[in-house]
Amino acid sequence: MPAKEFASSATGSSDNTVIGPSILISGKLTGDEDLTIRGRVEGEVSLTRTLIVEPSGIVKANVSVKNAIISGVVVGNIAATESVELTQEGRMVGDIRSPRVIIVDGASFRGQIDMGDATPRAEGATPRPALVRATVRPGVSKPAMISKPAAPLPPRAVTATRVEGTRPAPPPPPAPPVLAEAGKKKVLVKKKK
Amino acid sequence: MANEQTNIIGKGITIRGSLSGGGDLVIEGRVEGQISLKNHLTIETSGRVEADIRADELTINGEASGNIDASARVAINNSARVHGDVKAPRVVIEDGAVFNGTIEMDVKLPDDI
Amino acid sequence: MANTIIGSSIVIDGEISGDEDLVIQGTVKGKISLKESLFVEGSGVVEADIETQNVEIAGRVTGNIAASDRVELKTECRVVGDIRAPRILIADGASFKGNVDMDVKER
Repeated sequence: MPAKEFASSATGSSDNTVIGPSILISGKLTGDEDLTIRGRVEGEVSLTRTLIVEPSGIVKANVSVKNAIISGVVVGNIAATESVELTQEGRMVGDIRSPRVIIVDGASFRGQIDMGDATPRAEGATPRPALVRATVRPGVSKPAMISKPAAPLPPRAVTATRVEGTRPAPPPPPAPPVLAEAGKKKVLVKKKK
Repeated sequence: MANEQTNIIGKGITIRGSLSGGGDLVIEGRVEGQISLKNHLTIETSGRVEADIRADELTINGEASGNIDASARVAINNSARVHGDVKAPRVVIEDGAVFNGTIEMDVKLPDDI
Repeated sequence: MANTIIGSSIVIDGEISGDEDLVIQGTVKGKISLKESLFVEGSGVVEADIETQNVEIAGRVTGNIAASDRVELKTECRVVGDIRAPRILIADGASFKGNVDMDVKER
């Protein structure tokens, strides 16, 4: 059983949660770490860190996170305290509430966007940490499961701090009402396949 | 589109009413009312538009409020502030842009969702 | 092949199913059904009925476990619930309360 070794070696990577491509989770998922979804999650997701939905990932849930990078499919509402990015492959139906929303050419989206009363960022050309991460992280994708715990950890810590550093004047997170709303809606979404 | 000229509404100009035409249009001033354009509309950083807009393609660097219906593409660039509903097959929002409203694109979802 | 890791700060309340290995370092409540192996690590807390092929438990599990192949309770683990599997290993130091049923046909 070679997977045994991996299981123990994985102990070190305790702040990296991955939902593999064949996994279906239905219910409520909460946490204080980054979450990468390659499988399917239905219900409710709330994180204090970054949600990454990879191209194979399907999320049918109300989501509240700090950052979201969507390359897969999301059906549901997202409330992010920092940013939401739909990459070229991202597809989403639902509403987004976030001070920063990025939709890349090729992404498709239907729904409402609420960036709040974000003050115009004088130099819009600030570094784009979300993008940087989007390109860095998916490289970690499939093959390197074994090396994964070692490799991606330090860069993530760096980018995470950089996100906070480069964000000019983040408006007060409009989270609470949406969070509450998302909590109620959970029941509606929570059904098995 | 290439053989049509580009029209510019300069910084000092304000237009109230409805504006339609076939060529490309660059707005550096103010427009209030309605815009219906067959080609490319660009709202420059100094441009302020309060209008329902129909165009083939739309590039926004300035301010726009109203409903937007583009047959090809809408680009909301980092200096833009846009309020309203956008309907287009392709919509791009750059980091730094401020947008409030709805976006309607065709979203192809998996069958089992 | 263990593609799925539930990290230590993650709490899942619901159902997990799938065809791949699952490593739990966090908390899962509800139900788990897998066709492969489940690893509940030292930090893992599971309050769920488990249906899988193999289970290795170093953390805490409350719930019934049905494995088609093998259940291993490791030294530090605390398990409360019934276990049904053709092969069951209980390490010295493991804490376990419940029934064991090994009378299942091996595949």
